[in-house]
This record gives sequence, C-alpha cells and structure tokens, in this order.
Amino acid sequence: MDDKLRDDELVCRCEEVTVGDIKAAIKAGARDITEIKLRTRAGMGLCQGRTCEFLVQQILSRELGISAEKTGFSTPRTPQRPVTFGTLGGDGFDK
Amino acid sequence: MINKTYDVTVIGGGVIGTSVAYHLVKKGFSVALIEKKDLARGTSSHCDAAALIVDKMPGVDAALGYASIKRFLELKNELSYDFELTQNGSMYVCESDQEMEIASKYAKDMQADGYKIDILEPKELQEYEPFIAKDLKGGIFSKECCGLNPFKLCFAFVDQVNGKGLDLYSYTNVTGIKLNVKHEVEGVETDKGFISTKRIVNCAGVWANEVGRMAGIEIPVKPRKGVILISAASFPFCNQKVQEFGYMISKFSEFECKRDPDVEKYNVAFTIEPEAGNNVLIGSSRNFSDISFNTEIEIIHAIAKRAIRFYPILKEMNCIRSYAGVRPFMDDHLPLITEVEKVPGYYIATGHEGDGISMAPMTGRLIAELLAGEKPYLDLTPFNYKRLS
Repeated sequence: MDDKLRDDELVCRCEEVTVGDIKAAIKAGARDITEIKLRTRAGMGLCQGRTCEFLVQQILSRELGISAEKTGFSTPRTPQRPVTFGTLGGDGFDK
Repeated sequence: MINKTYDVTVIGGGVIGTSVAYHLVKKGFSVALIEKKDLARGTSSHCDAAALIVDKMPGVDAALGYASIKRFLELKNELSYDFELTQNGSMYVCESDQEMEIASKYAKDMQADGYKIDILEPKELQEYEPFIAKDLKGGIFSKECCGLNPFKLCFAFVDQVNGKGLDLYSYTNVTGIKLNVKHEVEGVETDKGFISTKRIVNCAGVWANEVGRMAGIEIPVKPRKGVILISAASFPFCNQKVQEFGYMISKFSEFECKRDPDVEKYNVAFTIEPEAGNNVLIGSSRNFSDISFNTEIEIIHAIAKRAIRFYPILKEMNCIRSYAGVRPFMDDHLPLITEVEKVPGYYIATGHEGDGISMAPMTGRLIAELLAGEKPYLDLTPFNYKRLS
C-alpha cells in the first residue's frame, strides 16, 4: 500500500467511502472489517467488498498495528453475484 | 485486569443494552456496559428497523410502541451521532377481502384507543406507493411511524455518554454473577477481571438465558429467526415501510386467515423498507431455530416470491445480499422489563422479539426509572418476571 495514500482517496467506489472515512471509523472504535462496514458502509454496495475489502484490511492493519488476518472479513452470503428478484422468486427457481 | 466498582452493570451491547446504559447515565448512575463482541454485533445489526404503531396490538403493546416513537423524536435532537431517523409513515396492505376485513377491524380498535390510523381504499394505495401491485384490496396507514438505522442507534447511545458516566467493556465475556449469602447481587465476573456492582441489567437478548442461569434465573426466551434480502441501490421507488397484512398474521397467531402455502412453512410475510443508501430491505421470515445466522435458499425464494407479488418492479431489480438475525421471542409477545424478586439487584430487559429496536428508547427509560425508584412512565406489571411463574 502506498504510504502517501491521501485522506480524500476513494476506498469503496460503490458507496464512495474515502481513506479519511475509514480512519475516522477506526478512531471511533472499529477494529475489523464488519465494524468498518457498519460505521462507513464500505463493502455494502453492489460489489459487496470485492474491490475494497483488501484495502480496508491494509488500512486497519496499519492504523492498529495488527496483522491483516486479524482484521477479519465480511461474511459471505447468498447470492454470490447480483441476481434479480424475478430469478430468485420465479416459478422455475431450482431449490 | 478490570477491578472497578459501578452503580450498575449492563450486560449486552445491542440496542436494548445501549439504551438502558444511556438512560441510566442520564439518571446519574455510574454504568459499566459489557459486550462479548462489539456494539450491535448480534440481533441489532441483523434486522430491519422501524418504529411502528400499525404493527402493535391494542393495549400495552401499542402504549409502549407509541411512547417509544415519541421518545425517538426527542432522541433525534438529544443524541449528537446521526442514527438516520425519518418519519415517513408506514402502511399495511391487504391481498384479500378477508384480510381487509380483519385489518379494518384492527384499525378501528386502535382508533378507539386514540391512535391515528387511516383505512385506505385500493386507489389510495397507488397514491402513496405508485409502484405497488394494482390488484390489492386496500390497507391501513399511520403517518407517525418512523424508520432508522439500528446499529447507528447503538453507536449514538454509547457515543453520547462514553467516558462521562459510562465505561464500555467490549470483547469481554461474562463468566459468572457473584451473589452474597442473602442472594443479592455483589458483582460480575468476566474474563477480563471483576466488576463490583450491586445491580445488573441483563440485556443479552437471545443469549439472556445463559446470563440468567449464572444467578439461577430461567429466562424463557426462544430464538425466532428472520431472513432479509437487500436490493442494489436504485431510484427511490418505495416511499415508506410497507408490509403485507399477513405479517400481522405471522407475528400474532390470534389472527386466523388463509395464506399462500409456499410461504406458510417459514412464516414468510412481505415487508419492504427504504434505507439511507437507496437500497431497500425486503423481508422476512419467522421460524423457531437455534441461534444461527445462515440464510436458507428456500426462505430466500419464498421472500423473493412475495416481493415480486407486491412490487412487480422488483422482478427486474437486483438482490445483492441476504442476511439473517435471531429475535428474542416470548410466548406471550410481551418483553421482560423487570426486577427479579428472588435475586435482589438483578434486573432483566429483553424478550422484545422483533420490536427491540422499536421499543428500545422506552425500555431504557423505564429501567432507569425503576432503578432510580421513580414512578415509571408506564405501569410495568405486564412486563414483570412474576407473570412467568
């Protein structure tokens, strides 16, 4: 990760969360991916953290002085990629 | 290691525990709040969130719900941290004439008690919700209902008083409750040390019985799971929380009505709730289970089926995530907001089932009034532990 990551740099593009937002959440007590998510919405958007999760882990790891593994990960949930409610709820749905 | 003394120790950092802790500090108590993970990591972040009047039964249920809405409006100004409170109203819609008949009777009973609930004709539904299915038989509406962000509410309660009367012990496990020979509370043992305290409030939700047994108290809370689906962000096609009246039937068994057999197995009833990020939350199911956060594909299917029935526009919209939470259910649908006579100093605030967010403000206030020896804002008899024996 670049040492000169600016506070106004975007981390989560889907929800428009910046480095500064992540740092503020850490200051408010967040210690892992889920806590960052609850406080900033990083990882709540269309891509569900596929793009930003690694970056958020790096920032957490650096700010708290802990290993990246200790920062956790977002719980994997159905669906694996966006799918329409029509498909999920349709008659041809394969249970 | 912790080795401190507090007037009161609150166990559980969800919406009930944080509200109780906040209201106790406001009364001048020194308070320790113990949470095994971090704030709002259990039911309070695995739910949807609204403070409604149109889903309460006439009587104490409605009184507690309505008083909480009024308290929410005060808290919006009282708490610095924004918990995204909006007062956009809420609507129940009916699929059949039979449902409409039950809903109208319910609305009239509530009106007789002084609550402002309107009965809507089918064409009025479209005026409130242009994208709702066109074949519905009508509905009921109250403009006083609110929406909010449940985990931000927890942060807001704690941020306001943390370090100013409240000490938060997160990632701290309660391992025992110390009683003296007279069976009075003496302290709380944790994996981080001992907290000396004469009073504890058990706000542990679906885990409340574990904390009860540490003092020989049985708390018959049953986990009742619910699954919710999240849509991708879109233009605002839904203006307020909307629910099918079947939701009332799924919540209270008193209402008898024929339902879609495909959704009956998991007690699925349609709810939709607009959220701050321009997503909508779509629910939900209600089935007894162990404490599990898995989302079963059969339940997801049943919820999506109901969703496209009530909002056909959703057929083409994306679902990006599902999640599940576990509600603390009580057999008589009333929470415990109570002292426990056989263990002086032991208090309980839990068992709100799906109304924990909605009733949190008043629950906190009532517990604070009870501990301060003041006359509570509402009569606490219906919420007493004694009713269970």
